[in-house]
Amino acid sequence: MQQSKFLLGFIGLSLAGCVTSRVEDARASVTGLAAGESVVIMAKSYHQGNETEGEYLACVEKSLGAGSKGINVIPHQQFVDELFPWFEPRTAPADTKGLPALMDRPGVADAVKGMGVRYMVWLDGDTERVAEGGSLSCAAGPGGGGCFGFAWWQNDADYEAAVWDLKENASAGTVSADVSGTSFLPALVIPIPLIARTQTRACKGLAQQLRAFIVQ
Amino acid sequence: MAGCSSSVTMQMPTIPEPRIDKIPVDVALRIPAEFEHFVHVEEVLGKSTWTIDLGRSNADFFTQLFGHMFDTVVILGPDDDPREHQFDALIEPVIDGFEFSTPGQSQSEAFAVWIRYRMSIFDSVGNRASSWTVNAYGKSQKEEMGGGESLKRAAVLAMRDAAALIIMQMERATKISQLADGPLDPATADSDPMMAGAEQENKEPASVIGIFAIGGIDDAAE
Repeated sequence: MQQSKFLLGFIGLSLAGCVTSRVEDARASVTGLAAGESVVIMAKSYHQGNETEGEYLACVEKSLGAGSKGINVIPHQQFVDELFPWFEPRTAPADTKGLPALMDRPGVADAVKGMGVRYMVWLDGDTERVAEGGSLSCAAGPGGGGCFGFAWWQNDADYEAAVWDLKENASAGTVSADVSGTSFLPALVIPIPLIARTQTRACKGLAQQLRAFIVQ
Repeated sequence: MAGCSSSVTMQMPTIPEPRIDKIPVDVALRIPAEFEHFVHVEEVLGKSTWTIDLGRSNADFFTQLFGHMFDTVVILGPDDDPREHQFDALIEPVIDGFEFSTPGQSQSEAFAVWIRYRMSIFDSVGNRASSWTVNAYGKSQKEEMGGGESLKRAAVLAMRDAAALIIMQMERATKISQLADGPLDPATADSDPMMAGAEQENKEPASVIGIFAIGGIDDAAE
């Protein structure tokens, strides 16, 4: 019984594809987060050609706030609704130059202060399938079925997070994650998926670096 | 052999209270009959048919939006006579065009929705003050099987986009606040005056043509 549990655990751990990742930051100013201050995560507008997935944004939000060292994260939809219509995809500021004018609009600075938002993080990038190959075929009949062959695919997750300091109305720097993962699907009667969690790795890596970048 | 068909029904969108100063005008909003039940059908050639039922979400959308934007808003139905009400300006929105694209059409992982609204603005005695079109766009990544929820999200984003544009540009584009000073001088009114009352019922909308990047099919209310 113990042996079979060990075997299942070993198989579970080994059923993952290959992933390589690089996470780095570029700092423009000194950061830090005081008690009561929080962060909001936004996706750069699709009007600017960005296609960051909603699930990636949700993952970064969750990862930043998780654990004993988690930081306060304001849910981005709450922030966007509170400041409607100034952070809609069409109206959101494209760079920090527009921040002073935005803060002068009625109620904007008060709303930002009320939520305690010190840093705004703009996510840019997406996960794409860049290559795939192999061949896999399955068949079924009255006596049963099965698959035979081998397939693989490679996903690249490239994301950049631009950090804006709303206290200084200036850019604090950027954090980027570049993750590449190859998944395999060999099949000899039963397909055995070896999946590379590329996007999840990019999320965890970026969130970890982002937290270190902001808190210092 | 028959293609697949998908149907999506929109819920009432919520337009948050905007961070703006209200425009000091008393407005009447005439909800056209098409806003009570707007249905758009899109056939993806040889593949599937998509039906999106906006219900009365457009009526709710404009009621909320103008309630946030103006001092007072009176809601008029298509059969109401505006002459029985007090207001500075009457706004009559219509849908000039509605389009959407599916991931299969756009070769992407996203649904996109385009809505073109046209707003006719009249003064308190029925002179047409201006006519203004707003092109709104919403896009949402496909994140579940089928994609119905993603299409709904894209439609809501398009409505929020329209709201943002209307909030930011309406005064500049239509100068509606000038109507608070009284009706237009007939000499300066639009060359196509139109009584905002019962006479309009016999008149077709000025335009039912919408031009969009994908499809180019237009529809009136069903």
